[in-house]
Amino acid sequence: MTSPNITLYTAQTPNGIKASIALEELGLPYKVRQLSFKTNEQKEPWFLEINPNGRIPALTDTFTDGQTIRVFESGSILQYLVSRYDPNHLISFPPGSRESIEVTNWLFFQNAGLGPMQGQANHFHRYAPEKIPYGVARYQEETKRLYGVLDLHLADGNKEYLVGGKCTIADISTWGWVAAAGWAGVDIDEFPALKAWEERMLARPGVEKGRHVPSPHTMKEMIKDKAQMEKTLAEAKEWIKPPAGHEAK
Amino acid sequence: MTLQPITLYGHGPTRNPIKVAVLLEELGLPYVIKSIDYEKELKFEPYISINPNGRLPAIEDPNTGVKMFESGAICEYLVETYDTEGRLTYTTSPEKWLLKSWLHFQMSGQGPYWGQLFWFKFFHEEKNLTSAITRYENEAKRVIGVIDAHLTKKGGRDEVRYLVGDKITYVDLAWLTWNTVIDMMFPEGTWDWKTEVPAFAKWHLAMLERPAVQKTLGLEAFQKK
Ligand SMILES: N[C@@H](CCC(=O)N[C@@H](CS)C(=O)NCC(=O)O)C(=O)O
Ligand SMILES: N[C@@H](CCC(=O)N[C@@H](CS)C(=O)NCC(=O)O)C(=O)O
Repeated sequence: MTSPNITLYTAQTPNGIKASIALEELGLPYKVRQLSFKTNEQKEPWFLEINPNGRIPALTDTFTDGQTIRVFESGSILQYLVSRYDPNHLISFPPGSRESIEVTNWLFFQNAGLGPMQGQANHFHRYAPEKIPYGVARYQEETKRLYGVLDLHLADGNKEYLVGGKCTIADISTWGWVAAAGWAGVDIDEFPALKAWEERMLARPGVEKGRHVPSPHTMKEMIKDKAQMEKTLAEAKEWIKPPAGHEAK
Repeated sequence: MTLQPITLYGHGPTRNPIKVAVLLEELGLPYVIKSIDYEKELKFEPYISINPNGRLPAIEDPNTGVKMFESGAICEYLVETYDTEGRLTYTTSPEKWLLKSWLHFQMSGQGPYWGQLFWFKFFHEEKNLTSAITRYENEAKRVIGVIDAHLTKKGGRDEVRYLVGDKITYVDLAWLTWNTVIDMMFPEGTWDWKTEVPAFAKWHLAMLERPAVQKTLGLEAFQKK
C-alpha cells in the first residue's frame, strides 16, 4: 500500500462529511481545503479542474503511478478510499463478495435517491423564494418513504448497521443526511430503528471526529434551536440563491 | 460457457431499466425483460425482497445467484462480472476511478433532477408551477453544460470524444438513456442544444447510432403502453 497524499476539498454539509468520516474511520492522514460557498469558490476554474461539476466533496491524491489523481462525487470517493486504503476491510467487504454488492446497492440508494430527494425537500421547505406547498409535500413524503425503507431494513433482524453487521461506506454515506432530518422537516422519531442507528453511528469515534470537518457539525443541536435555525437559514440563502443572470451555474 | 438469461425488471418506457438493457445488449448477454405492475407488484413481496426500495430496475442473475437493485450498482456488477476483456470499461488506473466519478455523477446528478423536470412539466396536475419548472430546466442545462465543457476540453467539438479515456465505456452509455429525452425537455424553439453545446451533441448523437443502442431503444417492452 503506497502512502496517501490526500487533500480533501469540502464544506460543512451532509455530503462533505461523508469523506472526512471515512478518512477518520480508516485513520488516514489528509489535508483539508475548505471551500467558501459564499464566494462561489466551488465554481472557480481551478476547482472545476478537480470537479468539473463544481460541487464538494472532491479529493486529490498521489496515485500508484506517482501522478496526481482527482476523485469527485462522494460515492466515488468512498469507493476509491476503501479499495485503495482498506485492505483489512474495516469499513468495507472483500470485492465481489455478496456483502460488498449489498453495500454498493445501499451506497447508490443514498447517492441517487435519498440525497437528491432530501435536498429537494430542503429547497422547497427552507430556501425556495416562492412557497409551493405541493413541492414541500412531494419531497418530504418521498424522503419519509425512503427513511421508511431504511427503517424497515434495519428493524428486520435487528441490524446494527446496513450490511453484514458492521459499519461500512453505505452507513457513512447515509449518516449525515439522516442526522439532518429535521432540517428537511422530517421527524426522525417516526423511524425508531433508523433513529437508533443514527445514534449508534454517532457514538463511533471516527464519525465524531470526521463530522466536525472542516468546521463544527452543529446540525443536530441547531434543529432544536429556533433562533440558531433562522440564522443558519439566512446564511444559507445567501449562497443558494444564484446571482442574477447565473441561474444555471 | 453458456449463460442463462439474466432477468431484468422494468416497466415500459421508464428510463433506468433501459440503461441496464443497453449495457446487456452491448455486452451481448442473454436477458429477459419482466414487466412489473406499479399497482400490484412494485411495492410488494416478492419484488421488494429483490429491491427493498420498490423501484425499477432490479436484476436476477441465475449464473451467479446475484439479485440486486440500483441501476448504477447493476452496471458496475455487469462490467466487473462479464466485461473481463475491458471492452466497455477500464481496469487500468486512473481511468477506472474516473469512471466511478462520472457514474456517480450520472446517478445522483442527472437522473434525479431530470426526473423532477419531467414530473413538473408533464405529469403533475398543476401545470403552472413555473418556478419549479425553471429550477429543474436550469439544472438540466447546467449538467449538460458540465458534460459539454469536459468533452470540449478533450477536443469534442471537432470529433466525438468520450467521458473517460479514448473509447466509449459503460459510463457514457449510462448517461445516454436520460439524454434521449432532451427533445422533450427542450422542444424545438426553446433551447437549441445542438448549436449551444456542440461537443455534448456530437457525443449524444454518435451513441444513438450504435446498433445495440438502437435495438434496445426500439424494443417492444420499452414502448409506451
Ligand atoms: N452527488 C454529489 C452531490 C454533491 C453536492 O450536492 N454538494 C453540495 C454541497 S452538499 C455543493 O457543493 N453545492 C454547491 C453548489 O451547488 O454550487 C455528491 O455526493 O458528491
Ligand atoms: N444548487 C443547489 C444548492 C444546494 C445544495 O447543493 N444542496 C445539497 C446539499 S448541501 C444537495 O441538495 N445535494 C443533493 C445530493 O446530495 O444529491 C440547489 O439549488 O439545490
